[in-house]
Amino acid sequence: MIQGAYQQSPLRSNLYVVWSELVKNIKSLLAYPTIIVFWAIFPIFWFIPFILQGQAFVGGSESASFAQITGSGEYIPFIVIGAVLNSYVNTLLYGMGENIRKEAYQGTLDYVLVAPCNQVYVLIGKALSESLSSTIFAVSQLAISVLLFGMNITLGVIAPVFFIIILLILGLYGMALILAAVSLMYKQSYDLSETIGYIFYIFAPVRYPIESLPTWAQIFGKLIPITYALIIVRSIILLGADLSAVYLEVIALIIIDAVLLLAGFYLFSWMEKKTRKSGTISHH
Amino acid sequence: MNKSNKEHRLREVNCPTGFNWSNLKAELKAVWQANIKDWKIEFAYPVSFIRQLISPLVFLLPFLIYGLALVGGEYSENLAQLVGNGDVVAFIFTGYMLMGFIGTAVWAMGFSIRRERWFGTLEAIYVTPTSRLGQVLGMALHSTVHQIVGTLIQLIVVYLTFGLALKIEGVLPALGIFALMMLALYGFGIVISAVGLILKEGWVVSDSLYSIMMILSPVAYPLIVLPTVAQQASALFPTAPALVGIRSFLIENYRAEAFGNVFLHLLILGAAWILFGILVFKLTDKYVRKRGMLTKF
Repeated sequence: MIQGAYQQSPLRSNLYVVWSELVKNIKSLLAYPTIIVFWAIFPIFWFIPFILQGQAFVGGSESASFAQITGSGEYIPFIVIGAVLNSYVNTLLYGMGENIRKEAYQGTLDYVLVAPCNQVYVLIGKALSESLSSTIFAVSQLAISVLLFGMNITLGVIAPVFFIIILLILGLYGMALILAAVSLMYKQSYDLSETIGYIFYIFAPVRYPIESLPTWAQIFGKLIPITYALIIVRSIILLGADLSAVYLEVIALIIIDAVLLLAGFYLFSWMEKKTRKSGTISHH
Repeated sequence: MNKSNKEHRLREVNCPTGFNWSNLKAELKAVWQANIKDWKIEFAYPVSFIRQLISPLVFLLPFLIYGLALVGGEYSENLAQLVGNGDVVAFIFTGYMLMGFIGTAVWAMGFSIRRERWFGTLEAIYVTPTSRLGQVLGMALHSTVHQIVGTLIQLIVVYLTFGLALKIEGVLPALGIFALMMLALYGFGIVISAVGLILKEGWVVSDSLYSIMMILSPVAYPLIVLPTVAQQASALFPTAPALVGIRSFLIENYRAEAFGNVFLHLLILGAAWILFGILVFKLTDKYVRKRGMLTKF
């Protein structure tokens, strides 16, 4: 069997590594069904207070002030879209770094890193499994929100929204790789992930339009990939715009993705070599 | 040192029993030491310490900015119609200020035992001649003080950035309500820590309970916007009456949405949650010991 695997073409072998990593992570997730149910349903409870707050403050489902800033006064779909896209941040940003830390805790990181394959493909497998689980959770949250709050989503928006989500995921992969690299070297990456999560939560337009922030904070927010993803997806779903109407935001998102991915891969390879040399890979 | 070795060992493991002043003093000392231990651990990780201090502010800001964006200013006509005062900043701040303490009960207290299990120190703590509840209360004391410091930071930043109009003369009765609420929340926290003893993935239960309590508590909206069933359910948790009571004392012209005598309501809830918490904790403790599940995770 092992010999057979070696005889395969490099591309097939690498794809096999990605597939095996994906299957392993999904099996690990399936071993905890309560966690699946939790992530599929409970993030909705985190944004329900914002919807109730809206009802108390404006007395209906539309806000004139919101309409002036964003072009649409409907704050419920605004909040739902923000929360669903932000769930990718929660799972991808923390997931990748934590996934590597988990291997260290379980004592399997050494074996993974000495496996005769390019480690980048192991990371791609981890990233794909995180994206798959994030997408399942996001679709579930969106479906429940559509039923609960009566949101209208047409089939025509699915393809462009899916395209933007892929771009968002790529940017988050880049950030997650940087965090994974830091977690290899400095171990306690949790605080760093949490701090980045805080920055995203405040400076990105997850709960409110970015225009509500002071100018300096808006500039900072525009360096974060989810800011563009939220602006584009809300324009498509709430204002009925197509991708050509928001092409500048799409280009900005692609540029940020490229920078983050390059920095992520470079940092991870560098840190991996460094920790191998220092012999601290499985320390935790 | 005239005593034999056997006698000396027996003296060392002589556990205090019965309710008397010297035992109570010993228990309070154990509670204090558990609190000090947690502060020492916290100061060993300064980045984590600072992050946790500013986290109450980080979670308050989205509620505030969103509220201001919704009404396009600091005054909401609709809120004024519902509760008599439309000051968005004062309403959200007074609500969110208390929410942090639910986190104290659910996370810090509820997970104190779980954390000791992760560190591998739970068995050592369990064999010390002190009450298990004393350990939990020590950790609760630490997290309450921690949360108070975080709330003060919130207060200063919100006051300087958005301006905050609160009635100073209402601070004392508000603190009384706060103390009664904390008593009931401690009971709730003890229940959660019992859950942490049994369930491997206890954080799922804690987070779910926290989310439900967050919705049932009128943090960023008056209770009246909730469906009737939810309004009735909110009376079982201390945060809803406490928030209504505190706002009545701190916000000018505030019209309480529900609840009669808040002090009496909280006193009953406090006694009920504490008794229920102790009962659940004792039963769980016994069950876990019998099954040998103490260090499993």
